[in-house]
Amino acid sequence: MRRSLPSLALLVALLLLWETWVRLAAVPTLILPPPSAVLATLWSEIASGRLWPHLAVTASEMLLGLGLGALIGLASGIALAKSPALDRLLRPYVLASQLVPKLALGPLFIIWFGFGMTPTVAITALICFFPLMETALTGLREVDPARRELFRMLGATRPQTLLRLELPAALPTIMAGLRVAVVLSLVGAVVGEFIGGRVGLGASIIAAQSVMDSSLIFALFIVITALGMALYEAVRVLERRVLRRFSKG
Amino acid sequence: MRFTGVRHRYHPDGPAIVDGVDWAIPRGAIHCLLGRSGCGKTTLLKLAAGLLAPQEGSVRLGGAQLSGPGARIGFVFQAPTLLDWLSVRDNVLLPLSLKRRPDAADHAAADRLLALVGLGELAQRRPASLSGGQQSRVALARALVAEPELLLLDEPFAALDALTREELQDDLLALCAARGTTALFVTHDIAEAVYLGDRVAVMAAGRLVHDAPIALPRPRRAALRYEPGFAAACRALRAAMDETSAGQRSAV
Repeated sequence: MRRSLPSLALLVALLLLWETWVRLAAVPTLILPPPSAVLATLWSEIASGRLWPHLAVTASEMLLGLGLGALIGLASGIALAKSPALDRLLRPYVLASQLVPKLALGPLFIIWFGFGMTPTVAITALICFFPLMETALTGLREVDPARRELFRMLGATRPQTLLRLELPAALPTIMAGLRVAVVLSLVGAVVGEFIGGRVGLGASIIAAQSVMDSSLIFALFIVITALGMALYEAVRVLERRVLRRFSKG
Repeated sequence: MRFTGVRHRYHPDGPAIVDGVDWAIPRGAIHCLLGRSGCGKTTLLKLAAGLLAPQEGSVRLGGAQLSGPGARIGFVFQAPTLLDWLSVRDNVLLPLSLKRRPDAADHAAADRLLALVGLGELAQRRPASLSGGQQSRVALARALVAEPELLLLDEPFAALDALTREELQDDLLALCAARGTTALFVTHDIAEAVYLGDRVAVMAAGRLVHDAPIALPRPRRAALRYEPGFAAACRALRAAMDETSAGQRSAV
């Protein structure tokens, strides 16, 4: 808490500067609303309860997309690490799936999955899949050869080597991939809603834009950032627990 | 343990890394293999472990052809290769826990071994909190927990300071003597080979170029290192190694 004090002080200073400048220079509220107006809008959204359904939908899309993408990413990372032939066969396609602009797939996903949460969850999963696959692949490949030889010497089977040597050794790398995926899942959920959502924080931004309500857009930025930070911190806690169990010391 | 005409090369057209080795280690004996880096001693050890299959000749253990790694052979690597996420005791139990769920007797055996190498108090610690010498001791206990007939050691103490290395040599002698374990110890340290070995062979360019018994009494204690017989044995081995490297240089 004491260490985050300077950051907080900087935030307050920046907000004051912003407020003063907007008032003195008489900037139109449509271009840049003052922080006081943004906070007032945020409070009224919270107090009226209008915010909660949107927050719940976006958070669910994030979590579902992240969970689905992380599971598939981890599984394919393990499969590609274990089978060099499979890696050679599928690598170009996996790479292509990441290089195609995923948000441009949005309209197609709406045709496939209809409006609602499903297309956004699919986009989020597609985005989250990649960092988990890459880190699982790298982590499993980089297991110390001497320890592999030890397991061979002890007559360990391939599943035993995977579960008792390779996955525990790769876990710190995989957890770093999960942290990246959390950040990307928020982008996936919000931007997915831009394209096809009717409910959710991203959809609310589009709605606010259509009525030129800049201070509502800013208020939604704050909510989205807070949601991302909360999930990121949750993953950090999970990571610390897992690493305490599976690392040195 | 018996090698007969063992020859091995990694590439079909490449040089033979192990080139016609005949060697027998009687049960309960400790033999040392001395050689400079890259002379093929690690490869010979992998052949003895069954990690590699020889292209020519045979490797037999107790009369039976070796078909792969197994519980009859314990191996101590150059580095301790402990698993960071397991406690010291679980590291020692690893060879057993890969086969079955360790029972109370296994836990007792692991604790007994840890006590023998002076780590009885540290069984619950993680390897990262141990010193290098303590980690090597854990690796030694792990290699012995399945009660192997043959112990193979690949320069296990090379990275330790001189005093710790001598303590570990004494630990190893005591453990092998107590169980009647046969051991093949690979090293590049002449004094280590003389102190540990009943017999020391010198390897160069894939061949055994010198092979002599060490006629020092057992049990061996630290004072032995300063006796004339010890120094003479070291000198004789040094001469044999110098001879082979001189021969190699003139051949090049």
